[in-house]
Amino acid sequence: MKEKIKEIATEVFEVQVHDDTNQNNCENWDSLRHLNFIIELETEFDVSFEPEEIASMTSLSIVESMIQEKSNNI
Amino acid sequence: MEFFIFRNMTIERFFSKLKTSFSGYEDISFIDQDAERYIWFYLAPIKTDNKVISAEIRNYIDLLKLTISRIPSSKTFIIFTLSDIYSINTITGANDIKEAVKYYNSTLHELALEHNNIKVLDFENFLSRYSSTELIDWKYYFISQMALNPRLSNPFHDWFKKQVKSIELKRKKCLILDLDNTLWGGILGEDGIEGIQIGGDYPGKAFLMFQKQIEELGKQGVILAVCSKNNIEDVRQAWSLNNSIVLKENHFAALKINWVNKADNIKELAQELNIGLDSMVFLDDNPSERDLIKTVIPEVEVPDFPTQPYMLPEFFKSIAEKYFSIYNLTSEDLSKTKQYKENALRNNVKSTFTDMNDYIRSLEIELSIEEVNNITIVRAAQMTQKTNQFNLTTQRYTDTDLSEMLNDGAKIYTLSVKDKFGESGITGLSICKLNGETVDIDSFLLSCRILGKGIEDAFMNWILNELKLLNFKAVNSKYISTAKNIQVKDFYERFGFEIISESGSIKSYSLNLGDVQINLSDNYKYNYK
Repeated sequence: MKEKIKEIATEVFEVQVHDDTNQNNCENWDSLRHLNFIIELETEFDVSFEPEEIASMTSLSIVESMIQEKSNNI
Repeated sequence: MEFFIFRNMTIERFFSKLKTSFSGYEDISFIDQDAERYIWFYLAPIKTDNKVISAEIRNYIDLLKLTISRIPSSKTFIIFTLSDIYSINTITGANDIKEAVKYYNSTLHELALEHNNIKVLDFENFLSRYSSTELIDWKYYFISQMALNPRLSNPFHDWFKKQVKSIELKRKKCLILDLDNTLWGGILGEDGIEGIQIGGDYPGKAFLMFQKQIEELGKQGVILAVCSKNNIEDVRQAWSLNNSIVLKENHFAALKINWVNKADNIKELAQELNIGLDSMVFLDDNPSERDLIKTVIPEVEVPDFPTQPYMLPEFFKSIAEKYFSIYNLTSEDLSKTKQYKENALRNNVKSTFTDMNDYIRSLEIELSIEEVNNITIVRAAQMTQKTNQFNLTTQRYTDTDLSEMLNDGAKIYTLSVKDKFGESGITGLSICKLNGETVDIDSFLLSCRILGKGIEDAFMNWILNELKLLNFKAVNSKYISTAKNIQVKDFYERFGFEIISESGSIKSYSLNLGDVQINLSDNYKYNYK
């Protein structure tokens, strides 16, 4: 899952991402691309995030645990 | 940059595969003169008061007319028709919106008649594929002003690309047709005049429809020609004896029915008809013939031909749309065109506004400026956190930080904007730290939603004026550049600030308030509480 997330992130942010990539250390991670990122994740993993969750998903590690959590609940 | 897009909602995602840049929301003040093409993409505003919605829709037309007068007439300007993607029919006044949308769209067609560079795109053509619940994802609307469901962006992209192509593609002039297994089933030389499949049951039925469709193309001015390996006597006999055949000799402008190779035949056709090879489309069921033409005369369009007769209707639709669509007023039919023309003459379409100033004045903008209080402080802090583009220093603060500044005597001004269409709430902020007779402007920022109406200048002038009235002597300020706030890099220069130092990403300024003449623009009404 981690690799898939990174693959999507790389595509959306148009830069190489790493395990510790987050909104602060990635210049291309702006609000618009953030939404695009979330939309792609929702589609890929067939989950839906609440607005509050979307706002909190500010790093790849948070994103991963959030998706993990969602998938476990299904 | 290929497209410059005027818009009123968040739509970046829909154009993400193209080279684009965007106006601010409902912002027509800036026009990129270097763009190759322009797009006008407005959606009906999502609001609750139907009177306001319809008034805004009508106002969009005024914005559009002003914009048309300001972009080079040599450049294509693609304008989307407007659709009301969220309307509640039971509410009174819904009819006002329908009327406004009708007015908007018919005005587009009038404008297209007056300006050759304007192409109207029928957005309904795309939207009608979806149910109303699919069109909007309210979650994304509320978090980002994305009114159209972001999941539609891929199909939108494909649709839009096709539309642009049909706008810009030169319509082909001539359709060259093979005969056997193309215009009828079977081979005339082998199956005989009555043996070929045309009319009657399937597959003849499918070929019949295909011939009738091609006949219609001919009526619309497409030149039809034949290029077939046959004995011409056999074909002429079939034409005169088989009444099921629709396309006869008189439908064709030229015939190449012989055993010479088709590439040479097509080159001769081009000469005879005096048209370019690049305006010809060649249909043939035989892949090796198609391949020959593709290789020898790449200018000629050679679409793949369907392997089954029942696929012909789809095939015809695709070639008709791809090569022979007349791009004139979207899909509007000719009688409508005439009607629009008459309307255009009657109304003598003119821009309501003569210039930007005139437009701004028409908005009846009121700027309400307040010093921050217990209630607004939360919103003020939030603005420092979220505003990236129109933000001179990008300092992030919590409400506690702001409280401390107030305790230290700072003046924190919030700006709310109201115009004839409604209120924006607090959308501007300035933090002024007081230092004896000098003021340091620590932060100055505006939400991008209100840009493009000169409000940023009015707010700054108001602040400078206020500080002057309060007897301060000088103002210091800074511009700290980030990846996102380049648009404000020369903001302070506009007000007579002098650069006192410039190092790395920071420009520091100073302004002597005694020296400056401050003009508060009367385009706005100012309320100070």
